[in-house]
Amino acid sequence: MADLLAFVLSGLVSGALYALLATGLVLSYSASGLFNFAHGATAYLCALAFYELHSGFGWPAVPTALLLVLVLAPLLGWGLDRLMFRKLAGVGETAQIVATIGLLVALPALGLWTVELLDDAGAPVKPAENQFGLPGVGPSPAKNWQLLDGVGIDSDQLITWVATAVVALGLWILLRHTALGLRLRAAVDNRSLVELRGMSADRLSSVAWMLSSGLAGLAGVLATPLLGLSSHDFTLFLFVSATAAVLGRFLSVPLAFAGGLGLGVLQNLVAGYASFAERITGFRTAVPFLILFAGLLLLTRRQRTAGTAAADAPPVDYLAGRSWARRWGPWAVAGVLLAVSFYTVTTPFWSGILAQGLAISLVFMSFTVVTGLGAMVSLAQATFVTGAALVAGLLMSHGWPFLGAALAGTCAAAALGALVALPALRLGGRSLALATLALAFLADQVLFQLGWLRNGDTGWEIPRAVFGPVDLGDDRAMGVAMVVLCAAGVAALGALRGSRAGRAMLAVRSAPAAAMASGISVVRTKLLLFTVSAGLAGFGGVMYASYNTRITATDFTAMTGLIWLAVVVAAGVRRPQFAVVAGLTFAVVPHLVGDYVTESVQLPVILFGLAGLALANDPDGYCAAFSVRRHRRRAAVAAAPSEPSGTAPEPAAALQLLGVHAGYDGAPVLQGVDLTVRPGEIVALLGPNGAGKSTACKVAAGLMAPLSGRVYAAGDDATRQGAVGRSRAGVVLAPEGRGIFPSLTVDENLALQLPDRDDRSAVYERFAGLAARRDVTAGSLSGGEQQLLALAPLLHRPPRVLIADEPSLGLAPQVVEEVYRLLAELRDAGTGLLLVEEKASEILGVADTVAYLAQGRVTWCGPRDQVEAERLTDAYLGIAATGEVEEAGRS
Amino acid sequence: MSRPIRAITATVAALLLATACNSTANSNSPDSKGSSARGVTADSIKVGGIVSMTTASGYSKKDTDLGARARFDRANAEGGINGRTIDYLGAEDDGQDPAKNLAAARKLVQQDKVFAIAPMSSVTFSGADFLQKQKVPTFGWGTLPSFCGPTYIYGFGGCMVPMPGGTISQTWPEGLKNVTGGAAGRTVAILANDNDAGTFAIRTYKQSFASAGYKVTYAKASVPATSVPSDWSAYTKELLRSDGGKAPDVVVSVMQTPYNIGLFTAVKRTGFKGVLTDPTDYDPGLLAKSATKQALDGIHVLLSFAPFESSTPAMKQFKADIKKAAGGKDVPLNMHMMTGYMSADLFLSIAGKAGKDLTVASFQKAADGFSDAGTMVGDRQLPRGRKESFGCGALVQLKDGAYRVSSPFTCYEPIPFK
Repeated sequence: MADLLAFVLSGLVSGALYALLATGLVLSYSASGLFNFAHGATAYLCALAFYELHSGFGWPAVPTALLLVLVLAPLLGWGLDRLMFRKLAGVGETAQIVATIGLLVALPALGLWTVELLDDAGAPVKPAENQFGLPGVGPSPAKNWQLLDGVGIDSDQLITWVATAVVALGLWILLRHTALGLRLRAAVDNRSLVELRGMSADRLSSVAWMLSSGLAGLAGVLATPLLGLSSHDFTLFLFVSATAAVLGRFLSVPLAFAGGLGLGVLQNLVAGYASFAERITGFRTAVPFLILFAGLLLLTRRQRTAGTAAADAPPVDYLAGRSWARRWGPWAVAGVLLAVSFYTVTTPFWSGILAQGLAISLVFMSFTVVTGLGAMVSLAQATFVTGAALVAGLLMSHGWPFLGAALAGTCAAAALGALVALPALRLGGRSLALATLALAFLADQVLFQLGWLRNGDTGWEIPRAVFGPVDLGDDRAMGVAMVVLCAAGVAALGALRGSRAGRAMLAVRSAPAAAMASGISVVRTKLLLFTVSAGLAGFGGVMYASYNTRITATDFTAMTGLIWLAVVVAAGVRRPQFAVVAGLTFAVVPHLVGDYVTESVQLPVILFGLAGLALANDPDGYCAAFSVRRHRRRAAVAAAPSEPSGTAPEPAAALQLLGVHAGYDGAPVLQGVDLTVRPGEIVALLGPNGAGKSTACKVAAGLMAPLSGRVYAAGDDATRQGAVGRSRAGVVLAPEGRGIFPSLTVDENLALQLPDRDDRSAVYERFAGLAARRDVTAGSLSGGEQQLLALAPLLHRPPRVLIADEPSLGLAPQVVEEVYRLLAELRDAGTGLLLVEEKASEILGVADTVAYLAQGRVTWCGPRDQVEAERLTDAYLGIAATGEVEEAGRS
Repeated sequence: MSRPIRAITATVAALLLATACNSTANSNSPDSKGSSARGVTADSIKVGGIVSMTTASGYSKKDTDLGARARFDRANAEGGINGRTIDYLGAEDDGQDPAKNLAAARKLVQQDKVFAIAPMSSVTFSGADFLQKQKVPTFGWGTLPSFCGPTYIYGFGGCMVPMPGGTISQTWPEGLKNVTGGAAGRTVAILANDNDAGTFAIRTYKQSFASAGYKVTYAKASVPATSVPSDWSAYTKELLRSDGGKAPDVVVSVMQTPYNIGLFTAVKRTGFKGVLTDPTDYDPGLLAKSATKQALDGIHVLLSFAPFESSTPAMKQFKADIKKAAGGKDVPLNMHMMTGYMSADLFLSIAGKAGKDLTVASFQKAADGFSDAGTMVGDRQLPRGRKESFGCGALVQLKDGAYRVSSPFTCYEPIPFK
């Protein structure tokens, strides 16, 4: 019993640290939608700063800790948000993951480099290496109290508990009982709606990042006595605490917090009672990752479209329609030149480095399959490499020929890949990335600890291949052979992409449901992706190991796989030839930097990590950055209209769009839209599907900037104003669907816009239905009640302009009537309304002016009483004469 | 891919392969001549080093470089080796990364053209096969399997990894007898990390302690290898009851310092009064912090070289050399300095014996059958050192903030490894 109590009590210590880290993860995730792999690195940075300031500079412990947690760590979070995370919120998930992986290595290097610089400047810093038993905030050595026989706690543990409890209470008060907390929760719920309500989501995201960084800082300071100054350990600790964030589904702070505490206890209990697994080397080491993996599988809510990141927009094909020579000529020439250079210009050293770069390119190409083609982030590629190379080495030690062993290794890797793919069938996005990471750690800690497979620390010898007269023992021959293999790999992947299976992969990537409907098996496609990718990684791994002439189980760890992914994605993961560029860069650049740029070991690491910043601007990687930008510029020039309309704005209009052109990535949607909404007028914007109605709403509300043309709010030019400014200027959008925050209660929804209690009381008086359900979450209201909830605060305080995108969508006829009645009431209060509807019937009853939108233009606009059925049909069909539009627009 | 493109690709590939095979036929690979004089001129010998200095784990061996430099400086001050001075290029940092380790070896050999590498101290040695193939004499700490067997790779204390058919050094249990007053009736519990290396250590030391006469009551590799536990009760519970319900006389930890701090603190808090011992915590830097000083107070640490506390002439010389190389500052000594120093020392001793005509061949010839006695790592013998350690060691005890020798530096007879 005492054992159990001891396990639980001390489990709560790591549990408290997990809870702090997991809470920070949830906060930053909800702020920017990205999983911050660098969260542990932030904690490490604070631990390092605490150590240097406290032990080096001799500052007192508690004030130093407070300064770090309350000031410096939040500042770091703020800075990173401004520089990086804010921009990353808009790019695909892969780029997000990779950017934070870059930070994961850059932040510790930055800290150590600063220590180096301070040391050179003569500051009393202490070396950060080989430091053990570091003091924390409390007394050092820690005081110990024996509670029961065998159950004791020490001062460090006590401090951790107390600090964590204080944080838990503080967070609860902040999130549940302050206006800031309410906004933060609203931003988690629906970021764009927050902007539409005039609150700056960017500023809220900064606050969330500051909180998150502060929590990481606290965890770092508290963990210093336990983890010392190992950035590696901090990162591992973070991965484990991700389990708790998963428990909170990356959304719920209390669940993540409780999950963290429970995780610590569970881990201790398993370690304490896992004697059944004593014969499995590595089992106890792997316990946290087993829990992470199990947690991901059990707790991740099944997504409708699991497995892929549909947020990734397809890359711009800037070479579309070009000839073969234009597409491949430069690459072919580069390959031949490279091959020739081995026998002409390169020194033995550089031949070796280039051969190494080409060998790793084969591994890097495997990312092009799983991540580039399949949009799934696999962090287990290093596992396939190690697995394949170990199997090949084992077989070669039994006398197998190189080719046979390499093929067997490749098959072993492919089998591992199929195994890893199983969670991919259920999970998607960051959950899948974490699951593959957990599996990679499990493989490192259990599978590759098998004595017969790893052969101790000696590993297996993998001699270079000899085919007849071709002896790859010579680095130059190895290099040429690798050029040939890489070319073959690029060609094969190109062929795969163009094949039936490749098209199926692309279909599953962009629209799994549609792919399924067209008879493509999503399961088979995903399995195929992982298997092919793992096989390729395995084959490349054998080649790479044969370059080294040996493989040991620790050559390529799970962390290596993380770095690889970052290197490949930074170069560009969509085309296999970019993987070759990445491989060569990976091998060559460190030596060039070392020889010609800097002696410091940390600086290149920092630069590498900051490549994530570049990804925020060019998510398709640096290889394509130039071409993509040029292509975009050309497309923008081509899409831009010839001349802006010279019409002057109408000063009395509440909202006016003049000659607006807008579109998505070169695809034009609006092609010169003129619209005027006057105060106290309802303008109905009608049009068929795809006419550009929602785009017009977005431009009007400031969610989207027009390519050309002007937007005026109350006579002022608001073209460059964002959604927040537009909303503050009185132009409010009620977006398609419901303009409410489903996770907040009815009262909280109202409080966001009506902070004054009296205002809300007035609303409740008018809408008894809402009053009765004020403490119910808005998501559980009926559709009609939700629409009422969205309109109620507007009725109480009428805006200058209300833009409503399909306000009647999915509502019962009586409710629609009620909604229209409320909208008419708003008009009577002086609001100008722009109502967008697809169905014309009901809206014609309330509208004053009607505008038809077809194919990106207003084809007719005039008073309601001039609307004729025929004209309506013509407008819907887009056959109204252009001249008539001009006329109607002026009338 | 269209048909002509396929044809073009195939043709290019065939052409390239043809070039490759052509060239191997008539090119002479860099090692075929043996390049006997690489890095050796009339008055200097070029030597480089590979050391892991920066790592993500916060563990660094960078003082190895200082140790080697100290030894080479003295050799040069004494007039060099057979009239040649040592041109020590300093150590490349491999960051504990296997890829960088190999790249560093290639750089030193192919670009800097060193004659030998001393020291090589890292947790990974993926450059070993390359160095062996290129015939580069390499000297380092023999705790990795690559130091056992290959003819050009030398451990300064011999090969310290027991190999099948090899031997186990008995320095630890034999030295411990001086502490426990013999082995008869004494019980030992051994704890290691839960990974392959830990399992191997358990297997080795179980045999080692048992054959020295100790009764091994507990030997398990159960402590998670990737992160230090915040709570040790799960791992010590059984261990402390292993001697028929009571605690054993000796607790042996085969783990790294951060683990030892936690383990020993936890064990002491239960009121354990026996002997605690480990092979890693001989670092005077640990005395600088009150937490480590307290956690490690009373423990006995195994060393495979003469303790800094001894006062032999060689040790005095070592301290003077280090101080000089550190720019006259009194830097705290640690075992990495000793690693670098003794790696350099073994190289210099063999090179001295090789005579004026220094080539790789003459160096190897001198190494074969090399022996001396009474060094800070005991009696050195080659080629014996390729198969087993020189078998010498000492125990020091950390007591009241200082190390003192608890079992003097002695060489013991190794036992066959089963």
